[in-house]
Amino acid sequence: MGILITDPFYEEKQIAMNALYRVVDPELFVNIVDLGLVYGLDFAQEKSIEVTMTLSTPYCPMGEAITTGVRNVLSVEYPTKEINVRIVWEPKWDHTRISDEGRRQLGI
Amino acid sequence: MAGINIGKAPKNNAVLPFYGTGAVFFLALTLMILFCPAAVSGHYFQPHLLAIVHTAALGWGTMVIFGASYQLLPVICEKELYSAWIALLSYFCLAVGAIFLILSFWLFRTGVIMIGGGSLILIAALLYLLNAWKTAGSCKKYSVQRCFIISSAIWLVVTASVGLVLAVNLRYPFIRGSHLEILKLHAHAGLAGWFLQLIAGVSTKLVPMFLLGKSDKEKLLRWAFLLQNTGLIAFILDGYFNGITGRVFFYEGMVLAGVIAWLVYLTDICRNRVKKKIDFQMKYVGISILALLISFLLIPAIFYGGDHHFAIVYGVFVFLGWISAIILGMTFKTLPFIVWNERYKNINGKVKIPMPKHLYKENVLNWQFLCYIMALPLLALGIFMHIGTIVRLSGIIWVMVAALYTYNVAVVIFHKRRV
Repeated sequence: MGILITDPFYEEKQIAMNALYRVVDPELFVNIVDLGLVYGLDFAQEKSIEVTMTLSTPYCPMGEAITTGVRNVLSVEYPTKEINVRIVWEPKWDHTRISDEGRRQLGI
Repeated sequence: MAGINIGKAPKNNAVLPFYGTGAVFFLALTLMILFCPAAVSGHYFQPHLLAIVHTAALGWGTMVIFGASYQLLPVICEKELYSAWIALLSYFCLAVGAIFLILSFWLFRTGVIMIGGGSLILIAALLYLLNAWKTAGSCKKYSVQRCFIISSAIWLVVTASVGLVLAVNLRYPFIRGSHLEILKLHAHAGLAGWFLQLIAGVSTKLVPMFLLGKSDKEKLLRWAFLLQNTGLIAFILDGYFNGITGRVFFYEGMVLAGVIAWLVYLTDICRNRVKKKIDFQMKYVGISILALLISFLLIPAIFYGGDHHFAIVYGVFVFLGWISAIILGMTFKTLPFIVWNERYKNINGKVKIPMPKHLYKENVLNWQFLCYIMALPLLALGIFMHIGTIVRLSGIIWVMVAALYTYNVAVVIFHKRRV
């Protein structure tokens, strides 16, 4: 997920993305940003942040751990805001979304 | 729609008892082989061997597979497990039923305990079917994996029902045909119905998940399902009405073709995987498949050989090769995640925490693998060559495999949160 410098919430989103690097997929040992699981961040609401993301496998047993991780790291950066995580299945995740760093870590 | 389809794993008390108890049964199984080597050298229908086989099939194989299934059914069906309470109830029925059955076979006491044990196993199978049906039955979309899960659960009920009939027949003989012929049908309903189809269904979901792989050859899976079931149904019906004849090879060929279709599908996933580095545990999958194929090759030897040792070697490759290898490997691809989820899920991202793979002792797993690849061929060789010393030596190594496995399972289950 890229963030445009013209984005009105550029700075907030950069802080959030840096925090999300700390959430690691327990099976793949790669963070969710490099895996390309994070689709969007919405700071438009004053009191909440909405994270739109997906999982590599629907109903993955680790899904709740990952979304809890997202809430935990963003709560540290934005303690006064409510963190909402929205899981979507479209567009469907595939390996083309993995970053170069993620590919390196996975040995692709 | 926040939170849709997020995996809510079943509570650990619906899963962990199966793993712990399965490990204890595995240890008991290997001790039986060590202290009663004559049991694996005689005819297959004798008390101690029947006890050993039921320890392998029920206490070890079915016990761990039940636990893993209750964890994985939600992944396959994309829906929460229907009932954790039913899962726990099935655990008690299976554990007590297996103990009753194994003890009654070992002492060869036909009657109340054997029939009671068989009844409890049947209740466990029915409870499992109910849970699988209610979870899988409401899948939003059709999948071959779902068909495999349901069919395997139905075959388990069939196997347990026939087993109960055989237990009753031992005390109150009423079957007009041969008890041993029906025993063969009972055994193969369990092997090619319950174990094969469950493993086929779960593996085609798990392997893509672990390797980030995919295949567009789903047609192969549909053929696998069709061939495995048609071959098995034809074998059982023909065997029941006409006895086991040379036509068994035709049915074996059908099931084997179904197995090959499934394996080609798995190979295609491996070829198209993203994660190139294959975990250590996946080596067990290779051994498991090899043992399965060797078992198929042994069937003509059993039919024409006239030597009961072929049947025992066949059983060794099926239970201690194919089924045990897959469990020994996959335990440490599932159990650490189950425990990690409970201990660390809520603090994920807050502090530095261990990953699931850090919950077990990797060096113990390496030793377990080394012992295992020695124990399996040694036991088969000892039985095949009729050399008691080799059987006893392999028994010692089997106990080491089981002890290392049980220790590592205990390390994971009793892991305490470090942060």
